[in-house]
Amino acid sequence: MANKFETFVALHLPGDPVILYNIWDVGSALAVVAAGARALATGSHPVADANGWPDGQQVPLDFAFANAKRIEDAVELPVTVDFEGAYSIDPEEGAANVARLKATGAVGCNFEDQVIGGEGLHPLALQVKRIAAIRRAVGDDFYLNARTDLLLKTQTHDDALIDRVVERGKAFADAGASGFFVPRLSEPGQIERVVREVPLPLNVIAFPGAPDKKVWADAGVARISHGPFPHRALMAKLTEMARAAIS
Amino acid sequence: MSKFEDFAALHVAGDPVVLFNAWDAGSAAAVANSGAKAIATGSASVSLANGYGDGEEVPIELALANSARIVRAVDLPVTVDFEGGYAEDAGGLTANASRLAQTGAIGCNFEDQIVGTDRIYDVAEQTERIAALREGAGQNFFINARTDLFLKAKPEAHDSALADQAIERGKAYADAGANGYFIPGLADLSLVERIVKAAGCPVNAMHLPGGPSRAEWASAGIARVSHGPFPFMAMQKWLTAEAEAALA
Repeated sequence: MANKFETFVALHLPGDPVILYNIWDVGSALAVVAAGARALATGSHPVADANGWPDGQQVPLDFAFANAKRIEDAVELPVTVDFEGAYSIDPEEGAANVARLKATGAVGCNFEDQVIGGEGLHPLALQVKRIAAIRRAVGDDFYLNARTDLLLKTQTHDDALIDRVVERGKAFADAGASGFFVPRLSEPGQIERVVREVPLPLNVIAFPGAPDKKVWADAGVARISHGPFPHRALMAKLTEMARAAIS
Repeated sequence: MSKFEDFAALHVAGDPVVLFNAWDAGSAAAVANSGAKAIATGSASVSLANGYGDGEEVPIELALANSARIVRAVDLPVTVDFEGGYAEDAGGLTANASRLAQTGAIGCNFEDQIVGTDRIYDVAEQTERIAALREGAGQNFFINARTDLFLKAKPEAHDSALADQAIERGKAYADAGANGYFIPGLADLSLVERIVKAAGCPVNAMHLPGGPSRAEWASAGIARVSHGPFPFMAMQKWLTAEAEAALA
């Protein structure tokens, strides 16, 4: 019988993407399990919002671990955690943090290349070192979803930018990433190119007004996550219900 | 006015403050955005959101840290559902109430059931417990003393004899220093009205789906209507439906 990690890996099918409806605590995890989800993914922004911190590694590391463990202990499904930049620029320190995350019971994590609290992205050479260090620290049975923030840093999503996305994706794959996550990638032609040229399952993020997921599936996407949008929508609904109760 | 004074002043018999219960900083901020006057947590919601059973299974450290995060996230007064105060003895209650007040909460619910059992403390014991809580929390703290009489009895057993017991407890709790009296589970408005008239402090009713409206509670003299676990439960249901749509 496949373990949770193997189950999770097998869900990444280009053309038939696994849908991850992002969660932030045990309650939201159980609500998404009840919907028939195959796997769970936290979102760092919702975890921060739900607990009153700004995003960008402002959630204390110990809280992030404890929250992850509570979720993993409460469900049978594989759980992947949005771990931002692993709470350290230093490759070995970041890798040690991811190893601690794995020890909570997470089957994988997102790991991003933006400079948290600063500007721009880490140089590719450094990011590759960070990914390789994480892979050495966690072994083979951990789904490292390497994210590039290139499209989040500019509005100009042209071919030259996709060249850089592809360059990063290939380098991340060589360094030991399990998957490639490109938030804000949406245009089917660009998705097809990334799928063709980067030898990793591609994860894109659904957003209000995004193309139908069949369009993305046909372009070869293997994983669709929802980032901060489930939490935002729920909080808007809560405000609406509270307003009705108060008036 | 301090947040405590603001909060106390919201308790107007016949024009109840509505507390749409929250469970974390995010839900508190969402409720604050609705125009709420104050924020109240619900212990069942906090438990379920974090994967614990209700009944003080949420570790007190988490409960206190969660309270502090909520207080930091909103400008409104925050009252915390503190269940049985996480202690049986007076010393423990005083210490825990002091820690809760230090999180910035300006009040709490404090129940008379013996947590983990189906029994209720004797009136004398519970008044001592309320006094101990007051000693730790200080004067600027709204102790909402709850009786579990109506939760422990089936609705068909909510008769005038039970209401008499509730009145006895309400008076004793007010004498012991409670600021408010919480009677969850009771939806019989004539009994509510009797309790309101005799309790000697503002009375809090819990909204029940299909139960009395705010206007009906108001007409019975209620000063505070809270929503207990129902906002959280409604949100869980809504999230499941949204996730189902996304997964389909």
